[in-house]
Formats: sequence, C-alpha cells, structure tokens
Amino acid sequence: MKGFSVALFVLITITAALALVMQTTVFQFLPLIPDMLLILCVYLGLHQHSVGGSAGAFLLGYFNDSFSGNLVGLHAFAMSLVFILVYLVSKRLWMDNVVSNVAVVFVASVLKAATISALLAFYLSLDFPWSEFLSTVWFEAIAAALMAPLVFAMLDGGKRLWGID
Amino acid sequence: MVEFLRRNRVFLTSGFFLSLSLGLLSANRGGTHRIDPLGIVFLEALQPLQTVTSAVADRAAAGWAEYVKLVDVNAENQRLRDAVQRLTVERHRMRELELETERLERLLDFRKKLPSNAVTARVIGRDASEWFQTFTLDRGESDGIKPGMAVVHAAGVVGRVAQVSPNAARVLLIADHNSGVDALVQRTRARGIVEGTLAGHCSMKYIRHDEGIQPGDVIVTSGLDGLFPKGLLIGRVVDVTRKDYGLFQVAEVVPAVDFTKLEEVLVVTTPPAVVNAGLDRIAPAERIEPPAP
Repeated sequence: MKGFSVALFVLITITAALALVMQTTVFQFLPLIPDMLLILCVYLGLHQHSVGGSAGAFLLGYFNDSFSGNLVGLHAFAMSLVFILVYLVSKRLWMDNVVSNVAVVFVASVLKAATISALLAFYLSLDFPWSEFLSTVWFEAIAAALMAPLVFAMLDGGKRLWGID
Repeated sequence: MVEFLRRNRVFLTSGFFLSLSLGLLSANRGGTHRIDPLGIVFLEALQPLQTVTSAVADRAAAGWAEYVKLVDVNAENQRLRDAVQRLTVERHRMRELELETERLERLLDFRKKLPSNAVTARVIGRDASEWFQTFTLDRGESDGIKPGMAVVHAAGVVGRVAQVSPNAARVLLIADHNSGVDALVQRTRARGIVEGTLAGHCSMKYIRHDEGIQPGDVIVTSGLDGLFPKGLLIGRVVDVTRKDYGLFQVAEVVPAVDFTKLEEVLVVTTPPAVVNAGLDRIAPAERIEPPAP
C-alpha cells in the first residue's frame, strides 16, 4: 500500500468533480441518487491507508457539504468516520473482491445516513428522524452499492492508465 | 514517540479531521453566517460544468421522452418514422421554446409588479444529497447577488441565497429544515414561522392557540424577518394541529411553488425594507397578488 501520490490526488479530484456534477444534474432524473462521493471515500478507505487517504475522505465530505444543505462539516464528519471504519475493516478482512466491495459500500451508506441523521438531530435539536432515515436509507444504500463496482473499476483503470501503484 | 506517531498516523489524522468537522459544524450551527472558506471556490469551479451538464441532461431527457412516445410507431415505415421523429423533435423544441417564453413572460410580469430590482437566474443543479433542499443558480456575485437575498418565482416564495461565488449561487429552499420564514395567514392575519421539515414539507409554527386557522387558508410572507418582501405567497394550509393545551398551534403548509419543476427564478436584489416601503406606497387594489398555484 503506497502513499497518496499527486497523480492519485488529481485522479480522485477529477473523479469527485465529475461525480458531484452527475449527482446534482443528471442523476436528478433518476428515482434514486447514488452517493458517488461516498463510493470514492470507501475506495480510499480500502486502498489508501495513509494520511493522504484520510485527508482525501475529509475533503470529499467537505466538497459534498459545499453542494448540500447549510450545515458545513456534516458530510465531512460522516465521510471521515466512514473512512476510518472501512480502513479498520480492510486491515482485518480480505476485501479485494467485488462482493465484499459491494457489501462494504452498502454498509458505509447506511452508516453515513445514520451519522448524518444523528448529527442533524443533535445540532438542530430534533428527535432522531427515524421515518426519513428508514424510508430512504435502504434504497440509497442499494443504489450506491450497485454503482460501486463500476466506479472502482473506473478508478483502477485510471490508475493503470496513469501508472499509479 | 516517533514510532507511535508513524504507526498511528491514519488514526491521528482521521481524529484531527473528525474534530475539524465537528468544529465546522459547531461554527455553522447558527446558520446566519456560513463559515465555508473553500465552498465558494468549489461552487465557482463547478459552475461551468454544471451549466453544460444540466443543459445536456435536459436535452437528453426531452429526447428520451420523445423517443419513448415514438416506440409504437410502425417500424416498417422507416422513412415516415424519420420524418415524424424529425418533426416531433422540432415541434417539441418549439413547444419547449413556447413554454420557456410563457414562463419568462410570467416571471417578467411578476418582476414588473415587484417594486424592486431582481435578477433572473436559471437552476443548474439540485442538492447533492436527499437530506437537504437546496439548488444552484447560474448567477452570482458579479450579477449583484449576495447571501441572504430572497429568491422568488411567479408562483410564490422559493427560498433565500445561502452562498455566493462570482458566477454561481446556492439557494436554501423554504422546504429545507434549516429554513424559517416569518409569515401571516392572509385571512386572519395570524402570525407564525413557516419552517421546512426533514421530509421536505413545510409547517407553520408559533401560531397563537386562539387563532382560527383552517385548511385552505393562504399563507403569505409578513416581511418582518428582514429577508422576504411582505405579501408574497408561501402556500396553503392543508392540516391544522391544535391541542387542548399549550400556547401555540401548528399548521401543515403545502408550498405554492413546485420545487421539482423550477427552471428559472428571480433573486430580489433590493433590500426587503426598501421593497416593503415600496409596497406600502401601492394602493391596496394594486397590491401584488401572486397567481394561484
């Protein structure tokens, strides 16, 4: 597991920008919007066990915050948490196959939604939004999990193309 | 010590970023002043890409809708099919232009009635997550847009500007749970605050318990919050929750604007106090009456 190179930073930045544009425009026509930035965050957690990976996860969340809602730091916190948990899991389990990738993105999506719900409840002094959480989380998680193999394959392809280890 | 730091560098960095996130959350909790140093850069950097992608996506969606309509056309008559498709696409394009003109005329008409300056802006992006109700406009600081400015539509109130970059702006819709608008029940003049909910609906809170509110009542802005000009349509009451105890009652409000279908909006660049003073000078019969939804 190598560090976070400049080439990888550029690759992730371009992918994140494209993912966010898709999320805010094209995917709005779909019944479900897959959380592409979360998939990138999970990818970092699985493959970038470095300070750069951790910073990348935070920046992905901050990037998401800039185009979502009014509470800056919400997605940044959730993404950083997802990164560290995926990192811990990938240190202990063999995660280098499609099924485990799909599963870990599904779980990460549920975890992110739960974290956001809890933070919203805390910071806005609301009750935990169970109905919103339960009504959307599963479908969002399925959408993200289904997109994961495609995004992972594209990132791996980009890394090979750019000669990134 | 160095070995400890090296071995736990990922944990330590993540801990730092988690703390930084919580710090940002706490700093932005009030919602009045957004502390987001990089947000403006991101917003500005993605604006051209969003504009292009949004336009392409709209065309693709329109094209797809036309294609779906045409799947039943007889496959044997290819020449006629091509002609029909070409003409249908052309007609669709004309219809789109016609609808756009109608929308812009309505917006222009509304803008003329509004005693203030307003900038017309296009919606180029929606919120990146399902948890919030915001969207991105193709106009920004260079067009005179500033944070806090009211965003309206001929059908009613849309929201307020939350963040601005030189050529783009993000709008917090009234249906977002971070949003609050000082409002009046048009019939009874009862005051309250219209807030968004996590489900993306609106509810009017802090209405005095003894006020007689009923489903169907029209809710308008009071102009007292210093954010929105007064008298703009917010929505209609669909349900009222009045308990036997307590000081207030709550009304569920359906916004007059269908946020999913918004394409163009007006950003009111004149301060609300000036607009309200202008409205006060207009005779009651000439007051702005937003069209019924």
